[in-house]
Amino acid sequence: MIELKNVSKIYGQTKALDNVSFSVKRGEIIGFVGPNGAGKTTAMKIITTYSLPTEGSVKVGGYDVTANPIEVQKMIGYLPETVPLYADMLVDEYLSFIGEARHLNGNFKQRRDWVIEACGLESVLHRKIAVLSKGYKQRTCLAQALIHDPDVLILDEPTSGLDPLQIIGIRKLIKDLSTKKTIIFSTHILPEVATIADRILVINKGKIVGDGTFEELRESVTKYNTLVLGVKGKKGDIENSLKNIKAVQDVKVEQNTSTDEIRYKIFYESGADILEDINAILRERKLDVVTLHHEKLSLEDSFIRLTGEDKEASREGGVK
Amino acid sequence: MRDIGIIFRRELNAYFYSPIAYVFSVIFVFLNTSIYMFHLFFLGNADMRSFFSTLPIVLGLIFIPAVSMRLWSEEKKLGTIQLLLTLPIKTEHIVLGKFLASFVFYCIALAGTLTIPVALFFLGNPDIGPIIGGYFGAVLLGGFFLSVGIFISSFFSDQIISLIITSLVLGFLTLIGWQYVPMVIDGWIPGLGTFLYKYIGVTAHFNDIERGVIDIKSIIYFLSFTSLFLYLNVKVLERRKY
Repeated sequence: MIELKNVSKIYGQTKALDNVSFSVKRGEIIGFVGPNGAGKTTAMKIITTYSLPTEGSVKVGGYDVTANPIEVQKMIGYLPETVPLYADMLVDEYLSFIGEARHLNGNFKQRRDWVIEACGLESVLHRKIAVLSKGYKQRTCLAQALIHDPDVLILDEPTSGLDPLQIIGIRKLIKDLSTKKTIIFSTHILPEVATIADRILVINKGKIVGDGTFEELRESVTKYNTLVLGVKGKKGDIENSLKNIKAVQDVKVEQNTSTDEIRYKIFYESGADILEDINAILRERKLDVVTLHHEKLSLEDSFIRLTGEDKEASREGGVK
Repeated sequence: MRDIGIIFRRELNAYFYSPIAYVFSVIFVFLNTSIYMFHLFFLGNADMRSFFSTLPIVLGLIFIPAVSMRLWSEEKKLGTIQLLLTLPIKTEHIVLGKFLASFVFYCIALAGTLTIPVALFFLGNPDIGPIIGGYFGAVLLGGFFLSVGIFISSFFSDQIISLIITSLVLGFLTLIGWQYVPMVIDGWIPGLGTFLYKYIGVTAHFNDIERGVIDIKSIIYFLSFTSLFLYLNVKVLERRKY
């Protein structure tokens, strides 16, 4: 449905996008994450024809954005980050204007009623946009993006400025829409991508640095697994014995002063089986196990690794 | 055609949403009629020559920049340019819709000054030719000035900057048509002043029409410059995408 091939975008001296290629299948929800200024908005502007690529080709529904912009524009509903609204208009007038500009004609009334319901705009329909709260502005703009029932939705930070309840509402709406539509949304809220996106694209400094489901991404960044082992203490330190296991990279000890539990964080090469060795050590020292579990890398940690913001962490691979 | 109409209606309504439009229209009508009334009672001639001779400078320095400044600057400031340019409407249709809306708004304000000829018919026996010619010229002149204004507006996101730049450019175009300004320029670079006066200056062409001499050359001058600036406006907006 959407296909970017070797797309670069250069603004003066800066390369906002650097040889980016990816494709999105019909019906997929793509979460676009990356630090500020990474190129998320630039990529969205190019897909929506607001901006043209300096190099490379972009196709939406088979139409090239440079050669056939009007066809592409018809197919897309776009919620820009800046929330473009005519402050002097009433919400209703604004929706009518967009409906007209999108040539809705006959089914305008039906579509209008649907977006008003879906975006919860009933109570502000006859208010001036200028006086609306940020949440209502965001939703009015979302209504604008949905009114023509587009095949492709490009949402640049759709939940920014909303309260928690509204965020849940919008997420549910996106999830509901995804059965029929192809959606790309960007966000800073990492749990959001994990809950609604089928696939995550991580972008940093104009390059795609990660592409896959959340689990795939997490695996790709972790060379080492973390096993947390808690034993009843005071019966001898096993730190060195643990470090001597072949696959183990490093061990960190945490002592809980209130209980007499000692926790060992064991970082070992993914795929290696170290349980047998640990078991042998425990049996030898006659220690009781209190906890034993794998620690999963948090969303935030995965994100940091992918974007390379924390060079130290990625070099040591898992050891913190 | 339909798309032009959609943009046109929104833009024309937008003028009436904001109080600025009313304020400037009232100032425009008031300023023009009051300058004129002074001449009328001073000279006692039942014609509109003094009205049309001050019109270009009032339009160029104040009224047109105030009408055209918001056309693109406001879209840029609000970010709605991003919405507008991603709607399935051709850029040239958007530009034309916006231009026509501002043009109609200008014509409405200009119609506010029709009280003068009506009053003249009660007071005396004016020559109808130059009055019709004058209004015809004013319509053409306004269209040309607006096309320059909308073009300049597409460069700035600040309406005040657009207003000032447009005012300077239109002021220059008006002054260059006043006989003594080109003479001064000729003094610096011989020939330049005369060239500007003949081909670029607005006033000479406007004066021709306003005298009742509806010369095809002057009409072509206005129409071609108007089209040129509208075309350049479309090009600027397309260029921005790169």
